[in-house]
Amino acid sequence: MIKLEDVTKIYPDGTKAVDDVTLEIEKGEFCVLLGPSGCGKTTSLKMINRLISLSQGKIYVDGRDVYQMDVNQLRRSMGYAIQEIGLFPHMTVEQNVTTVPRLLGWSKARCRERTAELLDLVGLSPPETFMRRFPNELSGGQKQRVGVARCLGADPPILLMDEPFGAIDPITRERLQDEFLRIQDEIRKTIAFVTHDIHEAVKMGDTIALMRDGILVQHAPPAEMLAHPKDSFVEDFVGSDRALKALQLMRVRDVMDETPPKVRIDESLETARGRMQELGVNFLAVVNEDERFEGWVNRRVLRRSGEQVKDVMMRYTVTGRRDTPVNEALSLMLGSAIGNLGVVDRRDKLIGVVTFRSLSEAIQASYSEDEDPDEAHAERETAA
Amino acid sequence: MKRYLPMLVALGGMVGLTIWMTNIGQVGFFPLAAPSKLLREVMRHLQIVVYAAALAIGVGLPLGFVLTRRAFRFVSPILVGLTNMGQTLPTLAFIGIFAVVLGLGLQAAVIALAVYALLPIVRNTYAGIRSVDPATKEAARGMGMSTAQIVWKVELPLAMPVIMAGIRTSTVLNVGTAAVAGMIGAGGLGEIIMSGLAMRVTEMVLQGAAPTAGLAIALDAVLGTAEQWLTPRGMKPATEMVFRG
Repeated sequence: MIKLEDVTKIYPDGTKAVDDVTLEIEKGEFCVLLGPSGCGKTTSLKMINRLISLSQGKIYVDGRDVYQMDVNQLRRSMGYAIQEIGLFPHMTVEQNVTTVPRLLGWSKARCRERTAELLDLVGLSPPETFMRRFPNELSGGQKQRVGVARCLGADPPILLMDEPFGAIDPITRERLQDEFLRIQDEIRKTIAFVTHDIHEAVKMGDTIALMRDGILVQHAPPAEMLAHPKDSFVEDFVGSDRALKALQLMRVRDVMDETPPKVRIDESLETARGRMQELGVNFLAVVNEDERFEGWVNRRVLRRSGEQVKDVMMRYTVTGRRDTPVNEALSLMLGSAIGNLGVVDRRDKLIGVVTFRSLSEAIQASYSEDEDPDEAHAERETAA
Repeated sequence: MKRYLPMLVALGGMVGLTIWMTNIGQVGFFPLAAPSKLLREVMRHLQIVVYAAALAIGVGLPLGFVLTRRAFRFVSPILVGLTNMGQTLPTLAFIGIFAVVLGLGLQAAVIALAVYALLPIVRNTYAGIRSVDPATKEAARGMGMSTAQIVWKVELPLAMPVIMAGIRTSTVLNVGTAAVAGMIGAGGLGEIIMSGLAMRVTEMVLQGAAPTAGLAIALDAVLGTAEQWLTPRGMKPATEMVFRG
């Protein structure tokens, strides 16, 4: 979909901002351009829609050389969002969102319909309220959402995004990232996304293109980059906690024990003790008659006096879902008294348990599935 | 409406004072300006100011705009310096110089006032357009707006409050300055003031001065309303006064 071929940018003062970059972004791929500031990632992005001119090389969009296309047509065919958002302060949210549709000559009715649809998509509802507002009547997060809606305006197949979530507080950013991933699941755009935040890159990207000093160092899916950094720069950049970062790419469903030891809430303490003995474990998940998760018992609480499990159990309602990232699950486990995490479905039914043991086993297993890392590293070196 | 109250009171005071003075009719041997004469001079005064403003806007706006374009940016310090210097010259000297070059009369007065009004307009147009957030312009460009579309749909609307402030400031200032134009035979209320001064008739001085003040107040209100009207909703009026005389 987007292809950079031996692309080089040399500024008049001689600085080589981008040095012989070759990069291909597939249709529907979310490619994150990552790197420290001044590495050429933004320059590369802006060369795609010709905001910055090429010095050498070629850029193809959908097989067509971007310099063979009319520059404004080219830009209108791809969404563009920047960190500063750059909303037009003198236009309503609707006018902002429909900037490109109006340039393309869409009818008023169609513009209105599209605005409603987009505002709904980015979580600004009811759209009728937000449509008529001006940017100075919106919060930072809302502006950012309008920025995203605007870049989706004419439903372009390609989005170019330059740190679109850079200027907002961490909590809102986290939420917008989640929502944007949900949107991307629906719309499947081809995205080039610039960031300097490795967390964001790992979380958002199908692939990461890591740059340094204008050179593309490694272009790989996040899991691969974290597991097998190509050289010491990549290793440093992804950080010594890269194994922890890799956890966010795994889901609870990959690591949970699907047949957890459990006990019903109305069974006797005797039964619970017996089951623990029998299974050789030191905790049981407590469920009610409908298999709903209620809490935990361990050896210590079972020594308390009482008749039924519910008299002594630790009610612990923090739970995970099948698709909770493992890093979040781990954090919940570390924060809980029991050190385990109950995994429930939509109706709170217990479907599994994550324990430190199941976690480490799953991680071990995922490593051994991989090729031997050192060997793979060596292979890539020779290939390069 | 509350906003307009002080203005209306002041305007009413000036009009009242004018009517009062005119009704006196004669002080000693000296007849004051007749109502018809007064009306004629008010119209003449307004004519000088409006012509000068139109000329200043017609020249200043495009000039200020061109200075913001990359190719001409190097000229801007020179031009701003030049207009600054023009403003430091005393009004009287300025009008005198133009009268010498262009001869006495309306033409010299209008041109002198227009040049005098040029500075705030050029400077505010330049400042207004330069103050448009580069991110906004980049977004516009990145979404595929042509250069002309960026100018008309983004830069000018966003710069409008500042540009209007410049026009308002210079035009209102010129109502006062135009009184001096009476000295070079261009007519206007300055002529009545000058006659009053020459004959030491305070009433006649007031007859010219009060409507001049009234005219300035009224014009300021009209242009202020236009400024409000041209300021896109969604933009705070914080940019109202970038340059005040």
